[in-house]
Amino acid sequence: MTAVVELTGVGKCFTKYEDAPMLVTAALRLRQRTRRSSLWAVRGVDLAVDQGECLGIIGRNGSGKSTLLSMLAGVTAPTEGVVAVRGRVAPLISVGVGFHPELTGRENVYVNGMILGMGRREIDASLDEIVAFAEMESFLDTPVKFYSSGMFVRLGFAVAVQSRPDVLLVDEVLAVGDLAFQLKCYDRMLAIRDAGTSILVVSHNLNAVRLMCSRTGVMADGRLRFLGPTNDAISVYHDLLGEARELEPGPGGQVPPERAGAATIEAVEVLDGEGRATRHVAGGDRMVVRARLRVHGPVDDPYFGVAVTNESGNQAYTDSSRDLLPRPLVAGSDFTVEVALRAGLVTGSYTLQIGLTDGVTARLAASEPLPFFVSSRPAAAGVADLEGSFRLL
Amino acid sequence: MTPVPELLASVWGSRQLLAILARKDFYVRYRRASLGLLWAVGLPVFQALVLALVFSKVVRIHTGTNFAVFVLTGMVGWTYFSNTLSAASTAIVDGSGLSTRIYFPRVLLPLVSVVANLYGYAITLVILLVLCPILGVGLGPGLLWVVPATALVVALTAGAGLVASALHVYFRDIRYIITAAVIGWFYLTPVFYPLRLAHGFVHAVVAANPVTGVVELLRAATAGVDPRWGWTVAISVGWTIGLLAVGTVLHRRYNRLFTDLL
Repeated sequence: MTAVVELTGVGKCFTKYEDAPMLVTAALRLRQRTRRSSLWAVRGVDLAVDQGECLGIIGRNGSGKSTLLSMLAGVTAPTEGVVAVRGRVAPLISVGVGFHPELTGRENVYVNGMILGMGRREIDASLDEIVAFAEMESFLDTPVKFYSSGMFVRLGFAVAVQSRPDVLLVDEVLAVGDLAFQLKCYDRMLAIRDAGTSILVVSHNLNAVRLMCSRTGVMADGRLRFLGPTNDAISVYHDLLGEARELEPGPGGQVPPERAGAATIEAVEVLDGEGRATRHVAGGDRMVVRARLRVHGPVDDPYFGVAVTNESGNQAYTDSSRDLLPRPLVAGSDFTVEVALRAGLVTGSYTLQIGLTDGVTARLAASEPLPFFVSSRPAAAGVADLEGSFRLL
Repeated sequence: MTPVPELLASVWGSRQLLAILARKDFYVRYRRASLGLLWAVGLPVFQALVLALVFSKVVRIHTGTNFAVFVLTGMVGWTYFSNTLSAASTAIVDGSGLSTRIYFPRVLLPLVSVVANLYGYAITLVILLVLCPILGVGLGPGLLWVVPATALVVALTAGAGLVASALHVYFRDIRYIITAAVIGWFYLTPVFYPLRLAHGFVHAVVAANPVTGVVELLRAATAGVDPRWGWTVAISVGWTIGLLAVGTVLHRRYNRLFTDLL
């Protein structure tokens, strides 16, 4: 395997000018330097992508993913290190770059194709295929300003894929377009991957990354925190989400001030079936939540509970036990508790919270929300995985 | 830092792209207007007619030749230069929608205006050459001066456009400075008066004006030249070489860094 993309010690520093440079002050050198602050958006990234490999890049907002992609696209130069890309790059950083609203679809295909490095004859030859893929025979000679956003994306994607790039950079563009077209795009990307194109996918759609990429890198604060199998990367990413603690408090929620400090819940972790700590559970598998509970004041009627919330903030599952803990709890006691669950959930990110209440309602303590990912069968969606099996009678 | 040979090679390699972007630029400008491309021709001709009327009937400047041909010739060169410079100076900033997402040599963006405005230039030039015999100015082998004149004005405008577009990324005042400069610049270019009518300091400024050489070279093909036209052409060529050199240096330095400032 030959590396088509190779990054060595790559860093990008953005200089933010506190005040825009003024021609007059600069010309007269009234000030030695304008005030400026610098920010390393990406630093110390080493990465190699093989021919025909599909590599995912995930990370929270502002972690440097897009800057990394801009450098790969050649849009901006790295401040340090070397970015080596062999062959033609097609960035799908946003689809339909350079589409002019007044030009027709056909004219835009030529402009866009040439920007992507195709020659006129090459476009002549592949025009039919582009049009067929984009499903827009009847609109080809209509100015693109009359296109729906879906048509826009379809045509842009069709041109980019048809340009037979050596490297395809995909940045969150397939969020647009209907599901049928998205699936068609995934199929086509997998097809050109198998034909030897290397693909880099930057996405928040972990499911898409999981389906397309065997290897995934996790960016955090401009650094490549992890690079390895996608399933592990998704686990690392959810670890980082937990560190960030920017999540909404879940249903364990607010503790009334008069009872604050009655108990604390710490060291919450998710274990897989074999007892290893993870943040990535296969749908339907056994998972164990383990937490440490410290009681600082007496609790008459302790309930121990667990809540799982999905990405849209809806509770997927809550449950509690009255029998787990001795009643009443005395101050100074200390427990390690475990909840064994079956991850009967559809694919997606979830957060899990452990809570302690006095009686059914009075909240005493809640753990920090713990993010984790469930990967289930691709077609299943909704809240719970009811494990449908389909049968023709 | 993009090395100069690589920069030149990338422009040459992108010539098809340059051509199609220029054509798009030209067609899009008039597509929504019902008179369409007629505007590309009509505006400079109309402006020349107004000038010809004002300065032959009202102010009465004597040029020793057909005044309409004299002015129209000047307008052909001046209009191309001023329109292109205005468009090219903001090209990199205006093209940010494209350039922040995909790489192509940024130097193409100002060059697109240089090529796109050639359509209008060619059309007005043809009209001028058609009008010449009608207005009683015979065309001889001197007509061939059109070729070096066109080469000079394109190179000069490209040089000025490269410098202005690079500077405009850093100093957004450039747009307005050029708008203002073009207004005054017009009067310091011998479009509606012959160079010999300027005296003293003004003469020095007009002679040092790089567009003067272009206008004189065009007149060599039509209305006839000023006695000192050789000097003005030499000065114009000097400007062209200087501006192209500075422009290349700027783009070599900032080719891959422009987008950080957009």
